[in-house]
Amino acid sequence: MSGKVLVVVQRYGEEVTGGSESHARMLVERLAPRYPVEVATTNALDYWTWAPHYAAGTAVVSGVPVHRFAVERGRSADYKAIERTVMLEPHTLADEWTWIEQQGPHCPGLLDHLHRHGTTYSSIIFYTYIYGPTVLGLPLVPERAVLIPTAHDETALRLAPYRALFHLPRAIGFLTPEERALVRRTFRNDEVPDEVLGTVLETPGVGDGAAFRARYGIDGRLFVYLGQVSEGKGVDDLVSWWAGASPDATLVLAGAVRMPIPEHDRIRALGRVSEREKWGALAAADALILPSRFESLGIVLLEAWQAGVPVIVRADNPVTAGQVARSGGGWTYTSADELGAAVRGADRARGARGQAWVAREYAPERFDAALDRLIAWAEA
Amino acid sequence: MTTDGTLLVVAQRYGDVAGGAEWHARELVRHLVPHFRIKVATTTATDYWTWKNDLPIGEELVDGVTVRRFPVDRGRARDFRRRERAAFNPGRSLEDERRFIEAQGPVTPDLLEYVASHVTEYDAILFFTYIYYPTAYGVALAPDRAILVPTAHDEPVLSLTTYRRVFHAPRAIAYNTAEERDLVQARFGNERVPHEVVGVGVERPADVSGDRFRNGFGIGGPILLYVGRVVPSKGCDRLFSDFARWKDDGNGHRGTLVVLGKAEMPIPVRPDIRHLGYARDADKWDAYDAADVVVMPSRLESLSIVALEAWSAGKPLLCHAGSAVLRSMSRRSGGGVFYRDYDEFGALLDLLLGDAGLRATLGAGGRAFVDRTYTWPVVVQKYRDLIAEVRVRNR
Repeated sequence: MSGKVLVVVQRYGEEVTGGSESHARMLVERLAPRYPVEVATTNALDYWTWAPHYAAGTAVVSGVPVHRFAVERGRSADYKAIERTVMLEPHTLADEWTWIEQQGPHCPGLLDHLHRHGTTYSSIIFYTYIYGPTVLGLPLVPERAVLIPTAHDETALRLAPYRALFHLPRAIGFLTPEERALVRRTFRNDEVPDEVLGTVLETPGVGDGAAFRARYGIDGRLFVYLGQVSEGKGVDDLVSWWAGASPDATLVLAGAVRMPIPEHDRIRALGRVSEREKWGALAAADALILPSRFESLGIVLLEAWQAGVPVIVRADNPVTAGQVARSGGGWTYTSADELGAAVRGADRARGARGQAWVAREYAPERFDAALDRLIAWAEA
Repeated sequence: MTTDGTLLVVAQRYGDVAGGAEWHARELVRHLVPHFRIKVATTTATDYWTWKNDLPIGEELVDGVTVRRFPVDRGRARDFRRRERAAFNPGRSLEDERRFIEAQGPVTPDLLEYVASHVTEYDAILFFTYIYYPTAYGVALAPDRAILVPTAHDEPVLSLTTYRRVFHAPRAIAYNTAEERDLVQARFGNERVPHEVVGVGVERPADVSGDRFRNGFGIGGPILLYVGRVVPSKGCDRLFSDFARWKDDGNGHRGTLVVLGKAEMPIPVRPDIRHLGYARDADKWDAYDAADVVVMPSRLESLSIVALEAWSAGKPLLCHAGSAVLRSMSRRSGGGVFYRDYDEFGALLDLLLGDAGLRATLGAGGRAFVDRTYTWPVVVQKYRDLIAEVRVRNR
């Protein structure tokens, strides 16, 4: 029989968006029917300022006690300066600790909770390696800690204050096999057992492809990009290729636009769309294109496969390329020619493979069983 | 030689300094030198209390090994006792713990910077003594290469939350005794960290003569030997009063208490207590050979070098039962007996001095125990194995 489980995450609540925060909330709500579970977090809503938003103290969110501790210092005004020093210039260990402090959220109450009450929990799950609650909190309770790092291949991962973090926990939960390989390679921490947890997807919406085409007046072959429309996501390369190569197909960009879009009759930027329109766009699409180079899970790929839509991804993004290789649900490209070939050849057969793979690999029972094993290691 | 890799040894003080852990580090380095390229990272301090910067910053050679000394930014704080009290209070905060560790000294950020930025130049990094700043904050900077030599005792400071990471992060832990291992694992639940009981080696010289000692110092009759610093914290005050009471109880006991070690308290002036001062190594081993019983009245001993030496010399140990480690080691080795109070002290002394066969049996048990674990060839081989394992895992 298991004791209490505590989940530590930098932000938590219904209004909170963000990859690791959403994952944490999903995990907590799956745990709640089976374990006594509590959450320790900050009172912030905004991940940049960490400004107080919620009342400090204990609230109940979907039946789970959530202990919110006050952020005593948010991100400092000169954060960018110290970030530049630490990421790009020669610097000291002390600079690295300063960077972590100035990044925030500085939340001593949460750390004190772990110090004073940590031993009343039989396991403590920490989300996101990078922030104070985890990098300062996990070392206080290593004997009962599970780390869900949500790590990317980034400079911060190689800073000295994070070294011990990947050796201290009793077990680690990864989102993908690529994240696992990255962490194993970087830290040589094979003594810590792990699970590739993945995630649990929400039930897909029912999309009406014909209604979507009618609404935007789109005929013929259609390719969709879902997510923030920005250079950071690699959309600039995709759009300029599309404008230049002019394939006999329409590119639909659905998501907040944060970059200039060239005037082109086969490129349609819709801005943010509703859930209903998202599933409609997927239903109408021949394939989803995800040109991003950095992705920790690629949730839109999983959603596309849920809808039976194949995907086209960069071969040099290890996570998305790995997902495509495992699922058989799409194509990868290393050059403009390969992208063109994928766009010309895309058909729904690979979408069906992706759909079957997601149903199998992201089955809720599978996630629950992996989570049970992580908790069992922490309690051992 | 030196084919087994490159080692960094981190110790709070190093060189011609007193102190068990510091002696341990230096002796170990001397014995590992044939097998490894070694560098020592330490402080400029010689005094474990003030940590004042007595020695020059930079590199020098000690026993032919490069020792790099880093400056102590802050030694022991004036308000150390207050910080200690706050940190030992069950209601302490994390801030209380941090202030205590810093108030204890030696605060050496440059040493930490060195470890953080040079970690990949070494195959393994040996950290001595969990309690002080260099190890308390250094192990976490090199978890994939750290081998911790904790020298932990059952003491209040071991309960601090801050030390948990020190016992969970390293690649391996080299305990001094099985008792220390059991204490740490019970406290921290860190059985998963690879570990080994290693300790130190005892070197018994070939040319040893009890007669030379007796003749040289003119001592006849039974000898009860004490070796070590002569201080109340080692139980010496009780030892002197127990011994005098036993001698003067009217039963005509014979025997001399021989005391070897630096006196830091008054020693009773009487003909049957002979203080011979700090002994040369040769005299010490002659004294062990001459002794009938070696006494260890300290309640705070963990790995006692004196106990190991006494056993190596084949002598029975009479130790205080308050030292859980010595009590347990005496039981496991069959090399010693332990007393709780004066009555047991006197009775056990009578028993031992009256039975040469019993003394020989106990001494043989102790010697076999030491030869199994606490000799340099055994210790060096265990470190070579541990370090080889660390290298393989970082390959």
